[in-house]
Amino acid sequence: MTMTFVDLDVRPILRAGGEPFEEILSAVAALGPGEGLRLLATFEPVPLFSVLGAKGYSHEARELEAGDWEVLFRPTGVEKPSEAEVSIAAGDGEEWPEPVTEMDNRDLDPPEPMVRILAATETMKEGEVVSALLCREPVFLFPELEKRGHCWRGGFEPDGKTYRILVRVASQHGA
Amino acid sequence: MTGVSLSRWTMSYFAASLLALVAAELMMTLGYGFPNAPLKSPDTLVLVHVVALGWLSLLMCGALFQFVPVLVAKPLFSNTLPLPTLICLIGGIAALLLGFLTLAGRVQPVLPYFLLASALLGAGFALVLWNLGRTLWAARPLPLPARFVVIGLCSVAVAATLGIIFALVLGGATTYPPFLAIAAEGVSIHAIAGFGGWLTFTAMGVSYRLLAMFMLAPELDSPSTHAALGLGAAGLTIAIVGGVAAIWWEGQPDTALLVAGLIAVAALALYGRDMLHLYRARKRRDIELNSRMAALSLASLAASVVLMAVLLALGRLSDFIAPLVFLVAFGWLSGLGLAKLYKIVAFLTWLECYGPVLGRASTPRVQDLVIEQRAIKWFLIYFLAVWSGTAALLLEHTFAFRFAAAVMLVATSGIVVQLLCTRRLLNVGAEQRLPAGASRPRLLMSVARQS
Repeated sequence: MTMTFVDLDVRPILRAGGEPFEEILSAVAALGPGEGLRLLATFEPVPLFSVLGAKGYSHEARELEAGDWEVLFRPTGVEKPSEAEVSIAAGDGEEWPEPVTEMDNRDLDPPEPMVRILAATETMKEGEVVSALLCREPVFLFPELEKRGHCWRGGFEPDGKTYRILVRVASQHGA
Repeated sequence: MTGVSLSRWTMSYFAASLLALVAAELMMTLGYGFPNAPLKSPDTLVLVHVVALGWLSLLMCGALFQFVPVLVAKPLFSNTLPLPTLICLIGGIAALLLGFLTLAGRVQPVLPYFLLASALLGAGFALVLWNLGRTLWAARPLPLPARFVVIGLCSVAVAATLGIIFALVLGGATTYPPFLAIAAEGVSIHAIAGFGGWLTFTAMGVSYRLLAMFMLAPELDSPSTHAALGLGAAGLTIAIVGGVAAIWWEGQPDTALLVAGLIAVAALALYGRDMLHLYRARKRRDIELNSRMAALSLASLAASVVLMAVLLALGRLSDFIAPLVFLVAFGWLSGLGLAKLYKIVAFLTWLECYGPVLGRASTPRVQDLVIEQRAIKWFLIYFLAVWSGTAALLLEHTFAFRFAAAVMLVATSGIVVQLLCTRRLLNVGAEQRLPAGASRPRLLMSVARQS
């Protein structure tokens, strides 16, 4: 299978004493479907492997001449939110389908993010998944999802500020 | 499951606390207690405890049963305990007030009121600490706002313990000399633990989260916030531990309180800087009434700090302690409490009524439950009256103070009417009010299913 890689060379930043973490995350966020990231660094960026692993990327690292490193990050399609929390019925390790809807609710006034997620679940079919980004943990949403029988998985992204929730729609939309 | 349910009895706490606020304002209007009676008279003690326990503590307890779970994203340890807790607290407050009234000779001592008050308030606050303490313990490591609440809860334990010692001494149940010394000299420590530690520190913690949430500002976890927490905790420790030790060994807590006061000013300055940062870093340009009115309460807190510094510099703090406590209690704590109630009542009512049908039927927005143009005048009148009342106390103008209290009473009544309209969904258009599947909330309790 061929995969296109977007190149990101952070060696100039590292040599200047800078911290390229933000650039790497935004480059990853900008990747299109099926695209990977080819990262060039001055050392083997081990801490990055778990961070991007949690975002659903496998890695393949190779030392270049002069001590530099090339790392290929490939999307695996399996996204594992860090510090993941799940609803009781969500099961563990079971594969969920790709989300049919992605929403970014980070800039909405509370409780609008919750209203939009619940409204989306009403129009979806059994087993379909919606993914939403929020700016905080939706503690009042969880009981509403569970009353309707939906399963959810959620957790903060590695930046510690964005909360991602995945909701899988139940067969009968609860009482 | 990490979701947060509606706290069933929070509305009852709010209703009882608002009744106490109206009662206190009525007393001040009628000239009951300070400044018509001396500062340490039983009548003033009645008034102070209606405000500190009846209004502010019940309000804070009701709010914490709902919002500590939000702060730590874990469910409340027990949803059944808040009702017996409320009964103990209200019974204890009533017994305490009757105790003060017997001291004033206004009531016959039919029962040992002070002993009853000790038992009931001790049990009530112990239940608060147990329920919230277990909730917080299960959520370690705690986010920063919740750590402020922990300091607040430690302080209420101290304030309640000192209060129980005072009540036992006043009720004649103990003549243990150190207790007599604490009852004679420890009133300022009791007040600092109550107004400073319990009410102010807890309000600070809750405000970090609520203001960020309602204004879409990034959550703060900056060095200045950690410093505010550390300095505030240090100031309270010096005031409480140092103050009690000083009374025990030397008889006077003044030096400990002065040092603690200076540290507290630094902590409050850092807190003020954080709050300014939240308002400036907000993503919502057009903020709701609760956030705008919270700014006036924060301005009152800043004014209290300045007033305290000026009085300390002039060496007149003990002469003008009443206007300072008045500004802290009504400008800062009550102002913030009323502003946040305006949003919290609307949000909890909205969630209770429309939560079950969200996404299935067209529902009003939370903001449709309130009419801010109607409420804003009452809030502005309230704050102007509080500031005028503070000035009247500083100028020792008793009649002007009573007039200001009357205006506060009118303004508070206006706000209470707005809260009732919100709770009864009267501000929502009739065609949108109750879509199929939604149920009208009860006034005093929340009946949403507990998970």
